[in-house]
Amino acid sequence: MNKIFNSINLIPEIQWVIAIILGILVFATILFWFWNRIKPSKLVDEMQLRTRSWWIMCIIFLFASIVHPVVTYLALGFLSFLTLREVYSLLNLREVDRSVLFFCYLSIPIQYYFAFKGYYTLFLIFIPVFMFIIVPFLLVLTGETKDIIRSMCILPTSLMLGVFGISHLALLINFPEMNSNGVSGKALLLFLIFITEANDIMQFVWGKIFGKHKILPRVSPNKTWEGFIGGVISTTIIGCLMGFLTPLNTWQLIIISGSMAVFGFMGDAIMSAVKRDFGVKDMSNAIPGHGGVLDRVDSLSTTASPFFHLIYLILITS
Amino acid sequence: MKKIILIIIYSIFWKNFLKIFIGLKYVNEKTLKNKKQFILIANHNSHMDTMAIMSAIPSRYIHKVHPIAARDFFGGSLFKKILMRYLVNATLIKRDREDPENDPIDSMDKMLKKSRSLILFPEGSRGIPGVMANFKKGLGYLIQRNPEIKVIPVYLDNVYKTLPRGKNLILPYNCSIKFGDPIQFKSMEMEDILLSSEKAMENLKK
Repeated sequence: MNKIFNSINLIPEIQWVIAIILGILVFATILFWFWNRIKPSKLVDEMQLRTRSWWIMCIIFLFASIVHPVVTYLALGFLSFLTLREVYSLLNLREVDRSVLFFCYLSIPIQYYFAFKGYYTLFLIFIPVFMFIIVPFLLVLTGETKDIIRSMCILPTSLMLGVFGISHLALLINFPEMNSNGVSGKALLLFLIFITEANDIMQFVWGKIFGKHKILPRVSPNKTWEGFIGGVISTTIIGCLMGFLTPLNTWQLIIISGSMAVFGFMGDAIMSAVKRDFGVKDMSNAIPGHGGVLDRVDSLSTTASPFFHLIYLILITS
Repeated sequence: MKKIILIIIYSIFWKNFLKIFIGLKYVNEKTLKNKKQFILIANHNSHMDTMAIMSAIPSRYIHKVHPIAARDFFGGSLFKKILMRYLVNATLIKRDREDPENDPIDSMDKMLKKSRSLILFPEGSRGIPGVMANFKKGLGYLIQRNPEIKVIPVYLDNVYKTLPRGKNLILPYNCSIKFGDPIQFKSMEMEDILLSSEKAMENLKK
């Protein structure tokens, strides 16, 4: 226990972010509390519920990310596990797929072990190369070919989103190149999660206030051009303001946070389409006000890997 | 001693395992909190059902709650019998009622008279998932003899997906266990009892 807490050494930048996050939460809580006093409505109730969930998520996340890296790894691995469980519970897989699902779950500890050890190449190829061959073959071994193509597509793709994407967050913390020359992996992790979630919130807020022209009318009626453009612009500004967490210059910050906003929107849209196909509004009701775990991490699963590799490219070329 | 073993197994191990790893959600399990004696009736599709129900029972009187199991299925060998007796706290009964000395209703009735609680699967055996079979009459006889005991319906939603019939690999699946309020019987007629308990079950399903 002591070992876990002794390893907390917060650089001033991270202390700043924690203060900012807690400040926003306090501000939102007070704002919605007064709003509810003055003009109660269903929207405010929902926002209060969401804020309460944000408190819990932020506290868990901050605790997990500032203590010993092993705790962070376990927490992120568990997040991957929750994501996979949600996908497999929703998607009505065949009963013969059960034995293959076991191997899909097994890939989580393996992938996070590679991230922990910093085996960069193995980490990169394990899921896109090996699991994309092994999982379909295991499905073949079950002997049941009816609807096999559906399972062959769902299982590797779920690994890609739930395990491969999210595990890049873990790789950020321990990667040697990310932790030298004044670069801190933890700070980069906080930066990525902050702008991804800020992007979600900004797109939601802009869409709610100014939204008129639907961007994906058949997939997600809540997404509008106004929300998208407003979200990208405000996320870019937020990214530049939070730039003290990264070793990047202003131009690089603009490119990275702008593209993260677009990637986050893509992840959101992909999951919206999947949900629409299955006729559900939320993946589950694990987080009050937000829906399922995957409803919250959908954008993170598509921003984590592009973010890591863009930063990596910038760091090794500069 | 038995109580301690049961608390370790169910209230500590299974409860956390089911909650964190399997993704089982307990709905309205507080309804059991202040009830000393009850009969729990549940739909039955998997061996996980008993584990899920036992893990929800307050640890204070877990040793007084007995799942009812068929002797011909679970009492095959001595090892199985001991396992069922000490690790599941089960009461084994004969399914056929040919032998008048060993009437299953009598043995269940005796347990109730000793102020024990029972977990019953009134469908008889693990049926087709999602389809509720008609309840067996044994439940009716038992309630007729003990009208003062509360009958609580329990609905296990998708719990069977974690361990379907014929499989032996437990896998996570988001599922839930719902506890209802005690059933109010209109009269002590056999038909009324079975009908209102089936109806209570259907209501929970929604």
